[in-house]
Amino acid sequence: MIRFSNVNKNYGSFQALVDINADVARSEVVVVCGPSGSGKSTLIRTINRLEEIQSGSILFDGQDVHAKMRSKELNHLRSRIGFVFQSFNLFPHLSALENVALSPVTVNGVKREVAREKALQLLDRVGLAAKAGSYPGQLSGGQQQRVAIARALAMEPPAMLFDEPTSALDPEMVGEVLAVMKALAADGMTMMCVTHEMGFAREVADRVWFMDGGRILEEADPESFFSRPQHPRAQRFLSDLRH
Amino acid sequence: MLWDILSIIQDNWLLLLIGQYPNGPLGGFAATLILSVLSIALAFPLSVLLALARMSRSPFLLWPSTALVYIARGVPLLMLILWVYFMVPVLIGANIPGFVTMLVTLVIYEAAFLSEVVRAGIMALGRGQMDAARALGHSYLGAMWYIILPQALYNMMPSILSQFVSTIKETTLGYVINVPELTFAANQINNQLLTKPFQVFFILALVYYLVCWTLSHAATVLERRIARKRAGTTSGTLPVELQPQTLTVEP
Repeated sequence: MIRFSNVNKNYGSFQALVDINADVARSEVVVVCGPSGSGKSTLIRTINRLEEIQSGSILFDGQDVHAKMRSKELNHLRSRIGFVFQSFNLFPHLSALENVALSPVTVNGVKREVAREKALQLLDRVGLAAKAGSYPGQLSGGQQQRVAIARALAMEPPAMLFDEPTSALDPEMVGEVLAVMKALAADGMTMMCVTHEMGFAREVADRVWFMDGGRILEEADPESFFSRPQHPRAQRFLSDLRH
Repeated sequence: MLWDILSIIQDNWLLLLIGQYPNGPLGGFAATLILSVLSIALAFPLSVLLALARMSRSPFLLWPSTALVYIARGVPLLMLILWVYFMVPVLIGANIPGFVTMLVTLVIYEAAFLSEVVRAGIMALGRGQMDAARALGHSYLGAMWYIILPQALYNMMPSILSQFVSTIKETTLGYVINVPELTFAANQINNQLLTKPFQVFFILALVYYLVCWTLSHAATVLERRIARKRAGTTSGTLPVELQPQTLTVEP
C-alpha cells in the first residue's frame, strides 16, 4: 500500500530522513514512534507530499507520489490519502457538518445533498451526529479531532495517516479519539500513525517502527518491540517512557 | 460666528451636497462618497489578487506586484495623482476626466495598501489551514477560495474599514486636479464669500470628521465583535502570529 524506497530528505545541511526503506501492507496498522525530532512527522508528511523529498521514491497504492506530475494529479492523489493533524486544523468558519461535507463537493464534485447526508453518517460514526451544527470553537479538543477524522474519511481514502493525533489533547480526551481509531483499524483500514500512545500501539498496531535521527532503527511486532527491543536506542527510549 | 456658519450652510447646502448638478457635473459630498465607495470597491478585489501575486513563487507575478506595492508605499499620493493626470493623456493620446483620473489613482494606491492588509490576514492564519486543505486534495486556489480567504477577509474587516476611512480623506486631493468633490465645493464657496474662510473650512472639517469618526467607530465595534467571536471559535488552531513564510508546498 505504501512503500518507501531509499528516501532521503534534508533541510539544508540537516538530514531529516536517511535511507528510509519500508512497507505498509494493505489493512496493516503501523505505529511510528521515537523521540521528538527523530523524523516521524516528516516521514508521514512525505507520503502526501506536504514535505518534498530529495531522493528515493514513495509509492502509494502503486503510484509514485514524488514523481513529476501536474498539480491536478497531485491534488487527486492527496484527496485519496486521509491525513489527520496534531492540531486538528478544522476550518473554524465552517460547522462540523460543513467541515466534513466541503471537500467531497468542491474537490470530487459530489452533489451537495449527498455529501451532507454522508457527512452526517460519518459524524454519527465518530459519535458526533448531535454536534453537526456546532462550530469548531464550540467543540472540545477530542470532539474536534473526531470531526477531523470524519473529514478525512469523507474523501473515502484507502489509507489514513495520523500525525500525533492525541498529542494536543487533554488526557481525558485521548480515549475517545483512540476509540475511533481502533474502530477504524477493526474495519480493516490501512493506517500509519505517529503516536506516543504505547497502549494503543500494543493493542492495535500490527507493527511498530522505531525512529531516531531520521532512520528507522527497528521494525517489529508490538509484542516483541515492547518486551524485547533490539536496538540500544529503542531500549533507552522505552525505559525512559516507563519512568 | 455660529450664525455665519449656519447661514453659509443654509445658502450652500445643495452645492456642498451634490455640487453644481444638474447644471454641471455631480460634485460635493455625493462625489466624495461615490469616489470613495467606487475606489474601495474596485481596489478590494484587485488587492486580493495583488496579495496572492505577492505570495506567489513565480517571478512574473512576484516582481511586478512587489514593485507596485513598494512604489505606492514610497511615493506621496499627490505625486501619483499628478503623474496620472499629466502622463496618461500623453500615453493614450486623449484627455480623461479628472474624476476618472482620481478614481484610477485611488484604486491603484488603495489596492497596494489593502494588499498588504490582506496578505497579513492570510499569513496570520498560519500554515495548518492550508496544509489541511491541501491534504484533502484542494488546489492552491481552491483552498484560498473556500478556506483561507473567507477567514482572512473576515478577520481583516476592521482594517479594510479603516482603509476606507483613509480613502475618504484622500479624495480631498482630487481638488488639485479639479475634481468637483466636497473640498472643491467648499473652496468655491470660500471664493465667493472671500471673508469667511474659517467658517467655510470649519464646515468642511466637521463633515469629514463626522463621516470618518462614524466609520472608525464602526471599525472598532466590529473589531471587538470579531475578537470576541474568535476567542470562542479558534481553540483548535492556535493563534499564530505573523510568520513570513510561504504557506504552501507547491509541487
